[in-house]
Amino acid sequence: MSADRTPAPLLGQPLPRKEDFRFLTGAGRYLDDIEIARALQASFVRSPHAHARIRSIDLSRAQRAPGVTAVVSAAEVNQWTTPLRMAPPIDGLQPVEMTTLPADKVRFHGDPVACVVAADRYLAEDAAELVEVAYEPLPAVADMASALAPGAPLVDDTLPSNLVSHQRFVAGDPARRFVGADRVIEAVFSQHRQTHLPIETRGCAAVWDEGRQHLTFYAGNQVPHPLRSALAARMRLGESQITVISPDIGGGFGQKIALYREELTVAALARALKRPVRWREDRLENILAASHAREDFVKVRAAVTKAGGLLALEMELVEDFGAYCFYPANYLARVVAMILTGPYKLQDYAFEVKIALTNKCGNGPMRAPMAIASWVMEGTMDAIARELGLDPVDLRKRNMLRASELPYVTATGQRLEDITPYETLERGLAAVDYPEFRRRQTAARTEGRHIGLGICSVVESTTYGSAFYKAAGILGSGHEAAWVKVEPSGAVNASLGLMASGQGYETAFAQLVADVLGVGAGDVSIHLGNTDIAPYGMGSRGARGGTAGGGALRLAADDVAAKILHIAAKLLNLNAPDQLRLSGGGVERLTGGAWSTTGLTLTAIARTAYLDPLALPPGMEPGLEAHRAYDPPPMTFSNATHLCEIELDPATGAVRILRYVIVEDCGTVLNAAIVEGQQHGATALGIGGALYEHIVYDATGQLLSGTLADYLVPTACEIPNFEIIALNTPNRQTVTGSKGMAEGGVMGGIGAVCNAVNDALAPFGVTATRQPFSPDYLRSLLRDRR
Amino acid sequence: MSKSLLRLRVNGETHEVLAEPRKLLSDVLREDLHLTGTHVGCEHGVCGACTVLVDGRPARSCLIFAVQMARHEVTTIEVVAQSGRLAHLQQALHETHGLQCGFCTPGIIMTFEAYLADNPAPSEAQIREVLSGNLCRCTGYQNIVRAVLAAAARRRAEGPA
Repeated sequence: MSADRTPAPLLGQPLPRKEDFRFLTGAGRYLDDIEIARALQASFVRSPHAHARIRSIDLSRAQRAPGVTAVVSAAEVNQWTTPLRMAPPIDGLQPVEMTTLPADKVRFHGDPVACVVAADRYLAEDAAELVEVAYEPLPAVADMASALAPGAPLVDDTLPSNLVSHQRFVAGDPARRFVGADRVIEAVFSQHRQTHLPIETRGCAAVWDEGRQHLTFYAGNQVPHPLRSALAARMRLGESQITVISPDIGGGFGQKIALYREELTVAALARALKRPVRWREDRLENILAASHAREDFVKVRAAVTKAGGLLALEMELVEDFGAYCFYPANYLARVVAMILTGPYKLQDYAFEVKIALTNKCGNGPMRAPMAIASWVMEGTMDAIARELGLDPVDLRKRNMLRASELPYVTATGQRLEDITPYETLERGLAAVDYPEFRRRQTAARTEGRHIGLGICSVVESTTYGSAFYKAAGILGSGHEAAWVKVEPSGAVNASLGLMASGQGYETAFAQLVADVLGVGAGDVSIHLGNTDIAPYGMGSRGARGGTAGGGALRLAADDVAAKILHIAAKLLNLNAPDQLRLSGGGVERLTGGAWSTTGLTLTAIARTAYLDPLALPPGMEPGLEAHRAYDPPPMTFSNATHLCEIELDPATGAVRILRYVIVEDCGTVLNAAIVEGQQHGATALGIGGALYEHIVYDATGQLLSGTLADYLVPTACEIPNFEIIALNTPNRQTVTGSKGMAEGGVMGGIGAVCNAVNDALAPFGVTATRQPFSPDYLRSLLRDRR
Repeated sequence: MSKSLLRLRVNGETHEVLAEPRKLLSDVLREDLHLTGTHVGCEHGVCGACTVLVDGRPARSCLIFAVQMARHEVTTIEVVAQSGRLAHLQQALHETHGLQCGFCTPGIIMTFEAYLADNPAPSEAQIREVLSGNLCRCTGYQNIVRAVLAAAARRRAEGPA
């Protein structure tokens, strides 16, 4: 009967999105679309050097340029703001601090050193060219190996070396296992530097109200409340003195989380000048100086039996974090190490993680910060299979967790439950007809064609709960907060601390709330992105929206529904509401085993709750609203198997994707169309990284890939159609049964494509280990093979 | 640089704008005419977000100075839906979940408004070739391609609009 009481007709339905109309008609409101009277435009002066002392900065010519209101540098801005200190109590992590603008030296090509504020963007850019900075160039470290070499120039002069973070971990007794192993197999994996590349670049607008001493700060930001906290602290304002408003966001992918130095400078300028100031970076600045991501080198050693039993694993990871730490330096690599073993049974595991500072743009989390993990694990399985002459599928199955072995606590203490890696693998193999593929592959080789199949099983960590943050040593939480209000007319408003950048929250969450309150999705409005309206939440990151946000919203909606039914029982002269439910915009009653309408509408109950409170049950407060927070489990896991068939042209090194199958189990879904869209987008991003996108620096730290003609985002001609098979095993620990998703596709995309290329390369006796798997790299392997 | 009076025909109306000759069409549309549906993504002609129609042909408004538009007719996303009714491609994008953050969407619609008028029955490969001039970071393109195919079919059955 309980299922009957919450019929949930909208749950999972692929409803077209409520937010689409404004985007389709050009009526969306992104940051730069907001009109702000009297707003001045900011433009930043950036370092042309990767590493240099600042000897002097002469602002005078720029200050006299037409239309200029102010030109400032560290001398002013660092007085108005406090530095960012990044010093969580994490073993092996060096404390670091950065001022808002660099005063003594620049640390990367693109480091902002001054800011011009002028009547329009053209005049601001003109004047920026007149700022004269005298630099004394210093030797730069442009890659992680030279950064960690003895005697390397220091990126951060306050540290003993560029090794900003160093951790080791051992579980079980890998050393003993290696001694007892039949074989020890090594593999290396190199992932290159990339950037998020939202099609909307960064930007912000700051409006200071001198009378109220209040800042309204507009920025397309995934985490409006944490951004407000950071702004308040660094401007020495109270949190009640700042409203952050995030308008529509033209893509975030993790780039729009941190409070950037440019944003803080703009906010401080608005306050100092008592004039609104706005800023929108151009694409060169976005690629040069917003935030970069990835760039790791991984070495794995696996101890195995002859038959392919995985006994132990050791991993060394070195990551290039760039010049500045907007996050704890071990923040991203930690998760790679933590989840590396994926769906495999393995208790003897050791890792060592080193993070290097270099004279490059600072790194941050990009959609699937742990992206390399699945490629490393599944690439290792393929390497083992090749070395032992085993079928890679048999090897995987031999070591993979089965349903009967769950819940399973991994070597790093992660609790895996309600995941289905064996099932997604089997379904995927059936979809591509694996034995038939191997026959086709053999036949093709006799014709001189080289096709390859890449298999990548993904166990995606999502929805990091507060227990994760505590264990990681990071001040922060993984909870989310929400409120739901039924207004006097019966209209439903709801809000949560997340901020959307394309995930369709206004639709999926309306469906969730509507089901609980027995109304249509069109009757529920979801309000996001205003810190005065939304409850303090942790925002959108880490594939947490559906599970953490949906959980909080569900709890709040349940509270409101319970109150509605109590009022209904009173109005219907019943002792208790247990035979009542909400459906079709009103209250239904169970009589004779069937639900029938009582004639009591939600509107009538809402009117009573607000306007006739004396008719409420004794002691009940007027109004119909609830505010709840939800702290999800320490970690929630989704899983998937990606299978990618490619053709490699050995003459050119070109890789073409012939077929792509994704079998994914992300638990209960709120809107199947939105989930599928996330799977497409995530996988496309993974493919782009594996094959095309590349942030390139030369040996002196000059960025060489500053345009979209250099940094190659995949187009519609490179990305295939994805065949998606959905499994929906609910997670029993989360409120809604959902698991979090939208990053696993990146992990699977990288792993499946790279493994497919290596499957095609196998007859040539070479293995590609260095992304991107570009034509020239693959040609070099084929050309140089012995 | 001194400002001069520019006369532009945009969406069937004549506008007079005081602007420097170096001001981009994209900036004049957005800042002076308040037509903010035309988005600026790269300002160097690659991403396609700023695509508008100039005399009915798709063009990158970030690569054109507004002053060059004398005697030309510019059309932007704001007039594609008539009286609140979505055009076929807009409706199809809605139904196939062919947009996520929506930032690249107006440029894609403008590109295919022109293309479908000339090519009523494109293949998937042809659509992908044309779409390759517009970058989308969210969708992986699959649902956009589906939407264009659906819109083309609807257009053939019902005519443009």
